[in-house]
Amino acid sequence: MNDWMRKVLESKRQMRKQIAALPFSEKIKIMEKLRDRSLAIASNPLRRKSLHQG
Amino acid sequence: MKATLEIINRMQSDGVIGKYAIGGAVGATFYLEPSATLDIDVFVSFHMVPGNLLISVTPIYTYLASHGYKAEKEYIVIEGWPVQFLPPGDALTEEALEQAVETAVEGVRTWVMTAEHLTAIALKTGRPKDCARILQFIESGLLDTNSLDQVLSRHGLLAKWERFGHRFLGDNE
Repeated sequence: MNDWMRKVLESKRQMRKQIAALPFSEKIKIMEKLRDRSLAIASNPLRRKSLHQG
Repeated sequence: MKATLEIINRMQSDGVIGKYAIGGAVGATFYLEPSATLDIDVFVSFHMVPGNLLISVTPIYTYLASHGYKAEKEYIVIEGWPVQFLPPGDALTEEALEQAVETAVEGVRTWVMTAEHLTAIALKTGRPKDCARILQFIESGLLDTNSLDQVLSRHGLLAKWERFGHRFLGDNE
C-alpha cells in the first residue's frame, strides 16, 4: 500500500470516528436521510429494470 | 424517529409493554457511525397474563391498531418507521434488555442495548451484516473487553468469538 492510499484510509477512519462521536439525535437524523435515500433508490424504475435484466 | 419513540413510550406508560431496549442497526448507531436501515428492532418485556405461559405480541398490535397504526408483514409502521417488536428469545437478549442504557433522542427518553450486548447478539446471529457490525465495534475501540468477555462467557459464545477472530482478524492465538 502506498502513502497516498494510507492517507486516504486514515482520513476515512478519522471521518467515521468524528461522525460516530456526534450526539445520538444527530446520528438518528443522518440515519433518516440514509433511509430516505435507500427507499428512493429502491423505488427507482431504472433500478427495477436493471434487476429484471439480471 | 422522535415521534415513533414517543408512541412506544406511551405504550409503556399505558402498560402495554414493560421495559424495552432498541437493538439492531439503530441501537448500534448509538455507539457507531450511522448505517442505512429501514426498520427499528425493539426488544420488549411483556406483561404476562396470569395462567398464560405463551408470550404474545397481540396486545401490542391491538393497541397500535386502535391508534390507527397498520401492520405490514412482521412490522408495525409507527410514525413512518417500521418497528419490529421482539420478545427476548434467550438469556442473552433478556440480559441485554435488563442492562440497557438510558439515553434520549431529541429529548425523548429511550433505552439502547450496551455495545457489548449488541456485539454478542450480532455474534450469535452471525449474518454477514452482523459480522460487519462486530468489526465496526472492534475498530471503534468502544468495547469494554472485560465486560464483553463476561457476556460471551455467560452465554457460551467464547468459542464462536475465537472462530470469529480467526476468520476476520487473522487471529492465530
